Amino acid sequence: MISEVISWLNDPSHWRDTRLMTGIPSQLEAHVRFSLIALAIALLIALPLGLLIGHTGRGTWLVSAANAIRALPTVGVLVLLVVLISPHYTGRTDVGFLIPTEIVLVLLAIPPILSNTVAGVQNVGPDVRDAALGMGMTGSEVLRKVELPCSLPLIFSGFRSATLQVIATATIASYVPLEGLGRFIYDGLAQQDFPQMIGGGVLVAALALLADLLLALIQRFVVSRGISGRFSRKVVVVGAPVSADVAQAELAAV
Amino acid sequence: MKRTTLVIGSVAAALSLALTACGKDSSKSPTPGATGSTGSTATVATKLLLGGPPEFKTRPDGVPGLEKNYGVVFAGYKVLDTGGPVTVGALKNGQVDAADLFTTDPAIAANGFVILEDPKSNFAAQNVLPLINKAKATDGVQKVLNGISAKLDTPGLGAILTKVQNDKQDPDAVAKQWLKDQGLDATGSGASGVKLTIGSANFPESVLLAQIYAEALKAQGGSVSTKLNIGSREKYVPGLKDGSIDLIPEYSGTILQYLDKNATATTSDDVYAALQKALPANLIVLEQSKAQDSDAIVVTKKTADQYGLKTIADLAKTQ
Repeated sequence: MISEVISWLNDPSHWRDTRLMTGIPSQLEAHVRFSLIALAIALLIALPLGLLIGHTGRGTWLVSAANAIRALPTVGVLVLLVVLISPHYTGRTDVGFLIPTEIVLVLLAIPPILSNTVAGVQNVGPDVRDAALGMGMTGSEVLRKVELPCSLPLIFSGFRSATLQVIATATIASYVPLEGLGRFIYDGLAQQDFPQMIGGGVLVAALALLADLLLALIQRFVVSRGISGRFSRKVVVVGAPVSADVAQAELAAV
Repeated sequence: MKRTTLVIGSVAAALSLALTACGKDSSKSPTPGATGSTGSTATVATKLLLGGPPEFKTRPDGVPGLEKNYGVVFAGYKVLDTGGPVTVGALKNGQVDAADLFTTDPAIAANGFVILEDPKSNFAAQNVLPLINKAKATDGVQKVLNGISAKLDTPGLGAILTKVQNDKQDPDAVAKQWLKDQGLDATGSGASGVKLTIGSANFPESVLLAQIYAEALKAQGGSVSTKLNIGSREKYVPGLKDGSIDLIPEYSGTILQYLDKNATATTSDDVYAALQKALPANLIVLEQSKAQDSDAIVVTKKTADQYGLKTIADLAKTQ
């Protein structure tokens, strides 16, 4: 079976678009497109909201509410939305299927980003916040220059788990008739072509791992060294600070 | 340490990409007829997009069958669902121009779709018939079930299925009403003493047919229990073989294909004859009804009028 999957993946005809078949690169592109749209929208909603909730400490019920959304059965919501939305779009267009898919994926991506952002901001030490205020920073400056950089590792971990979930779940786009790597999984099952089905699954897993690796790389450059504690071995920190949190805040603020 | 992992990973990725480029090409060279119609002549079909279930793209009587039997080559194929709401919606809203639906689907009449005739029997016959355990098929039981098959036809089946699927009526009540209308509800003792478990697959038509069998046999004194919505053939055929289910409504073409992967029969009589031979020793089929629920290529009324379509062969007309 493994060799059949490898030869399925190796078959050049599966990498080309033909009249009846959409090749792997096109499906991959569609899959990445669906995932990116959903993640961008989710980030635009959840990140500012999370920062605000964490900073003000108000509206924490929103986090619980967002987490409750996770309990929704994704396929059920998708089919419901398709039934409601798709009849409004006629002609050769996929918009009627794309909108429900993106809604479902955004709903899936919001909870991890939102709850991790709130937790990240709330977990910034009170002494750090005090120090920042004592230096004369305004509320928004504290948020931008202290709380956001300090909570970046947690925000990243939330975003990374959202990315994994969205990429894995974007396969359901093929349940309603859309493209994407899920096409191979659904078609392989229906055609009893199991190498195709497993090959599709392998591609989704590879894409998810690659995306996570890429985000890890970005995190490495974006998160301050004072936060991640990732110093070059050659550099020796002279005069260990009294409170690690204060040092972190200072480094982050710089 | 981390760097080595990264290097090994990227080398592996590059290697697999290189392997991909020189893998074996499985795509068969297209048949001369197919290239001819795509390349030089524009037919009606080359402007139309076909939609249907995923397996229709590769199934022998699907896209390959249409190309071989009729020379019909569509502009493309869009994967939808198996004769379900997605396919109906896509055809109605113009996401596809032609679709693979089932002949008894109430949505066809409800939306004024046109079924294209299949004069060359590309789609195998799918007559409704009872598949029953030999030990339970007493003369009395056979008489009841054959009586039902004699009265069942495609429009009739479509009409009662509409009541279940569109009007959301109880299948059991619809079954009783149909038996009454056909004069098949006479009580008697034809099936008394026979203990039967009637099964059905997990779609409304199969459930309805199972209820018709059940009600008729009950009226004739049979002691009947039902196991409805069992699932696909992979689930219920083993049950029929081991005797946990005794009777189920079936479709001649599909059950033949399930039992014999190499079956080539397509006409009603051929399929019925081949099916007799392919059945396991403890099962038999009774007389088949005229009612058929087979695949059909369906277009909207507008498309049919625009191109003057009556049969699938009309799709291969040059424009």
